[in-house]
Amino acid sequence: MSGNEFTFPLIHNAVGIMTPFLLAAIGGLFTELAGMLNIALEGLMLIGAFFSVVFTAATGSIFLGITLGILSSMLVALLFGVISLHLKANIFIAGLATNLLASGLTVVLAFQLFGSKGVIRFENIPKLPVLSIPALQGIPVLGDLLIGHNILVYISWLCLIIAAVVIYHTPFGLRLRGTGLGKSTIASLGLRPASYQLAAILISGFTCGLAGAILTLNLSAFVPNITSGRGWIALVVIYLGNKTPIGILIASFVFGFAESFSNYAQGAINIPAEFILAFPYIITVVAMIGYSIWRHHKTSTE
Amino acid sequence: MVNRRKLSGMMVTTIGLVITLGIAFIIAIILIFILSKEPGKTIYYFFAGPFTNRYYFGNMLNSAIPLVFTGLGISIAFKSSLFNLGGEGQVYAGALVTTFICLALPNFNGFLGGFMALTAGVATGAVLAGLSGFFKMKWGTDLLISSFLISGAVVLIVNYFITGPMDDPNSSLLTTPGIALQYRLPQILKPSKLDISILLSVAAAVLIFFFMYYTHRGYEMRMCGLNREFARYGGVNVSTYLILPMILSGALHGLGGGLAVMGTHHMALKEFTFGMGWNGIAVALIARNHPLGVLPAALFFAYLGAGAKAAMLHSDVTFEIATIIQSIIFYLITAQSIYRFIRYRKRVHK
Repeated sequence: MSGNEFTFPLIHNAVGIMTPFLLAAIGGLFTELAGMLNIALEGLMLIGAFFSVVFTAATGSIFLGITLGILSSMLVALLFGVISLHLKANIFIAGLATNLLASGLTVVLAFQLFGSKGVIRFENIPKLPVLSIPALQGIPVLGDLLIGHNILVYISWLCLIIAAVVIYHTPFGLRLRGTGLGKSTIASLGLRPASYQLAAILISGFTCGLAGAILTLNLSAFVPNITSGRGWIALVVIYLGNKTPIGILIASFVFGFAESFSNYAQGAINIPAEFILAFPYIITVVAMIGYSIWRHHKTSTE
Repeated sequence: MVNRRKLSGMMVTTIGLVITLGIAFIIAIILIFILSKEPGKTIYYFFAGPFTNRYYFGNMLNSAIPLVFTGLGISIAFKSSLFNLGGEGQVYAGALVTTFICLALPNFNGFLGGFMALTAGVATGAVLAGLSGFFKMKWGTDLLISSFLISGAVVLIVNYFITGPMDDPNSSLLTTPGIALQYRLPQILKPSKLDISILLSVAAAVLIFFFMYYTHRGYEMRMCGLNREFARYGGVNVSTYLILPMILSGALHGLGGGLAVMGTHHMALKEFTFGMGWNGIAVALIARNHPLGVLPAALFFAYLGAGAKAAMLHSDVTFEIATIIQSIIFYLITAQSIYRFIRYRKRVHK
């Protein structure tokens, strides 16, 4: 059973690590389906990460902290949305601006509030509660893997289910997807495509705020640029997941597993840490190229 | 008539730019009033700091040099409607390979060896960006994401070489050993770090300008940028222009990295080129992808950074305030509504 002892913690950790990817990708799925390339996921996540830990420390309540963290992230998302939709700025550039704003603002505020531009530790703040849901434990084979995670992991699954229902089974979801396919169709129905796009951006602010909260509250600390490219990877997750809820679940697990494996390999195998950290990027590039080759052959043989 | 119309288009762009920068500076002043305990002093150093002495002024010009190269690289890609998001990795890898060649040839002729080292740096950047172009041409792989991901991996691998096999054991910094004296470019405004590569950066901008606007290939490239299908219909071999602009773009990034080593740092430090790639995108946007516009745009960015640095040294704000100002410029720089508003006002006045 030594194989099981090796793979179990690997997969169990992967389920925890994938959560920020999954959450950011859920929000990104909404904006992607509404026809926008949302590269601001990274910045929105960073805002959520900073403000949720700061507000948790300030209020002493993890619930209030996360709520205010999410609101901050949604506020920045609103700015991003208004500038790209109403001032009609290029959405890609406005996204870059959001990422810059987030990295600048968090460092400036950290320096102003705590006098440090390095790692800021928050002692004695409440920890994320870890849940063991008995109903999940009953599931054969997977049961043990699904229990014993922190509460946000379960919330992320709930978000995924809600997202799938909203996207495919509500008039809002239908119109949102319609906006992505052709704005003029939605406009011809007397609806405003920009409203649906703004809603999608606000949703991405919500989920990214939550994704950021996990990063800092797990550590009880804020590290400058703690998101370190996770928002970008979430974007890749959306593409690899073929823009479907089930697809992004699988793709974010692949990333979670790659990172979990890197963490394991760092301790166990004698490979330089940098190579291991580069591993998720390389896997993704290879997967993307493989996917495009497959698609290329499929379309050329049809 | 054509000329007049072109001129008025330029005027709208210029007014838009001035409004954008004006708003950004107003927000900068407001931010300083909120954040600083001595706002007067901070504002003085933020705006006038880079001009107060030769050292600051020279360093400001010096920090514009890599931005000219990365800005030109991004402009070429954007003009061909291609995205190169891998600038960070291309600059950094170009810098590493240049350092490597210089370190491998410690007693070589300075000019020849330096030329070889730079060529190797340029080639490295060109290959890295060219790869993404190749995948795009061959299988339609998304350029934006592949160039970003390749760069993400490359940055980490370069980190490994700088902190691992090429690390200088005698230095407390995470850096390679310094390159031999004959490879260090002459300085021209001591005591600042400014070196003669600033002339190269101006020459590069002029050359790229001539290439893009006065050569056959440059014309075809811009045509592909405007409308690839139309260019194909016109008999242009469009797949060439998926790779060529990327190769040129990567080459310019590699050159920027190589010159940062030979001109300024004389070694490769961990993450010392950080931000050059991203800021290159900003420079290209302010310049509206025009090669000659890249020069003032790079200078403006360098000014912003130098001002923030001076304010940090002499007052109580942190450098990242410049990042916030940058983000505001980014937000407004492509905002169509501002330009539409100007055009509307002009029509009303007529």
